[in-house]
Amino acid sequence: MTSMRRALSLHARQLIAASLGLIAFLGLTGVALDQAFRSTLVDTMEMRMARYADVFWNELEFDRKGRLIVKDIDNLPDARFNNYRSGLYAQIQTARGDWQSESVALFSLPELPDAGKVQAPELSGPLQLPVGEDSSIGAYRYTATAEFETRKGPVVATLRIYEGEQEIFRQVAGFRRSLWAYLGIAGALLTLVQVFILRWSLQPLRGLEHELSALQEGRVQRLGRQYPTELHPIANSINALIDSERGNLELSRNTLADLAHSLKTPLAVLQSQLENHADPDRFREEVYGQIQRMNDIVSYQLSRAARSGHALYSAPIGILPHAESIVSSLEKIYRSKGVLCEFEIDPKSQFSGELGDLQELLGNFLENAFKWARQRVLLTVRPLYEPAAKRPGLFLCIEDDGAGIAPEDISKILQRGVRGDERVQGHGIGMAIVQDIIQSYGGQLAVDRSAELGGARFTITLPCLS
Amino acid sequence: MRILLVEDEAPLRETLAARLKREGFAVDTASDGEEALFHGREVPFDIAVIDLGLPKLSGMDVVKGLRDAGQKFPILILTARSSWQDKVEGLKYGADDYLVKPFHVEELLARINALLRRAAGWSKPSLECGPVKLDLAAQKVSINDEPAELTSYEYKVLEYLMLHAGDLVSKADLTEHIYQQDFDRDSNVLEVFVGRLRKKLDPDGSLKPIETVRGRGYRFAIPRNE
Repeated sequence: MTSMRRALSLHARQLIAASLGLIAFLGLTGVALDQAFRSTLVDTMEMRMARYADVFWNELEFDRKGRLIVKDIDNLPDARFNNYRSGLYAQIQTARGDWQSESVALFSLPELPDAGKVQAPELSGPLQLPVGEDSSIGAYRYTATAEFETRKGPVVATLRIYEGEQEIFRQVAGFRRSLWAYLGIAGALLTLVQVFILRWSLQPLRGLEHELSALQEGRVQRLGRQYPTELHPIANSINALIDSERGNLELSRNTLADLAHSLKTPLAVLQSQLENHADPDRFREEVYGQIQRMNDIVSYQLSRAARSGHALYSAPIGILPHAESIVSSLEKIYRSKGVLCEFEIDPKSQFSGELGDLQELLGNFLENAFKWARQRVLLTVRPLYEPAAKRPGLFLCIEDDGAGIAPEDISKILQRGVRGDERVQGHGIGMAIVQDIIQSYGGQLAVDRSAELGGARFTITLPCLS
Repeated sequence: MRILLVEDEAPLRETLAARLKREGFAVDTASDGEEALFHGREVPFDIAVIDLGLPKLSGMDVVKGLRDAGQKFPILILTARSSWQDKVEGLKYGADDYLVKPFHVEELLARINALLRRAAGWSKPSLECGPVKLDLAAQKVSINDEPAELTSYEYKVLEYLMLHAGDLVSKADLTEHIYQQDFDRDSNVLEVFVGRLRKKLDPDGSLKPIETVRGRGYRFAIPRNE
């Protein structure tokens, strides 16, 4: 939490995302319903107009002289045709005279050409209909045609009905009011439900937070609650981290205690020798021996402290570059001996652990080999596979063409818990260090005679990680 | 042999310097990294022993600095750190060998002698040219397996000439590598040592081991046995 701006909380993220979705959904629903309602209204209007047209055709006649007559104007399908500027206007045009409804007064309908022949009825609009000196209304126009037989031959009549938009506006407005009211209520309810779902699904996270702070305050030792599937690995990792941390602490404590205790023995020897007035030459020899012993103890414990348990999730390390740099160092030191070191390293070999451990392993075994070899050293490395293992294991083999190790000495070399004073000549504290490392990785060390080179062969196997 | 000893721990530095002088080395000491780098760049040492943990400039930087300045003499590093990471690092930056503290002075002397031999192209522990044999560790000279009695300065002159057997060694070089910084450098003294050496190594005048190159210096003329 040291970043300048704290990241948005999961709760806020979810709430914002879901609310935006809800708004978009409800908005689109509203617009779609509105559109659908409008087009239904227009369709209804068209059907009504068609009915009006049928009535008009029934009322329409031609007198003896062949002039147009609308018979019973009181019987028109809608009273508004007769009411002054009611918003519903009709107009009939024929070659034998024209007619328009009573509602047209003090203004005239637009003069459109006579259709002249029978056409399919059509609704158009909304268009601007002038209804006075300088006012106009939005209106729809329905146009229908019919042919009549008169004594003087067939006549085509064109009927145009205009209806103002106010009615549609009124109905749409009413619809919208109730539509948005319902959508608003639905939105509020959904938001409430969503807040509840969020709280419920984030509950385990809050639980984790509580348990972590309890952990920090020392009220619990590890995470013990049951967590859902998604959080389970996190809780497990945290527990593993806690265990490894505790293990490391324990190890450092032990290392320190071991160091302090193991230094007391040589100190006691020195003190007793000092107080014993031993002869100077023997005393000098004893001091040398005890210095060597203390140095071995310090080196061994230092290497343990430097490792202090391996990191939990260290990235795998390629072997070749590290082997090369160690061998080139050794070739420099043993240049006059002219030892040749051959590699047989599978490029897929990887060490899953601390770099320092790998360097100690390679360095100590290779230095031994360089020390004892006559001419040749062979380093073989390859990965070990196991089904279902997450990371492959490692097989390391270091051989030389020296005198080899006598079978009776092998068990002494492999002795665990080697103290500074119980070592086999020539295989120094390094051997105790590498055995410690191998053990900490759950690996195994074997010593025998090299079939190929005839000298000693050290074989290390580190198991796969699952 | 002229040696640069760099160690900040005064008791260790003084003990080692005293021992090295007893062994016949011309010893220059430095107690911090900057001083070490300054001396190392200016003086043609035969070898340097450098502690890694130094004030002002780390031993690793001194080694790097010396190599960058083109100095090719062998360098042995002393370190309290025994991990392989540190060893590999030190050797990578141009050191030739390392010794982990604490160590036996005998071990240090053996490593120094080995490095000196190696730097001069010798691979065996003793230098052999014809019947003349010089044991670096024991500081003994023999001719046809008969021990030759040499004073310490005679030995030093012979050791330097034999290490570089076949090469021309100027008087200035010889003086540089045999005497301490503050020693009175009189080339007549050198001529006296060379004259005495000739008599001791070659009493009947048949071997002619040391050749005088007029106006330029000396050369050990018997070819190496390797």
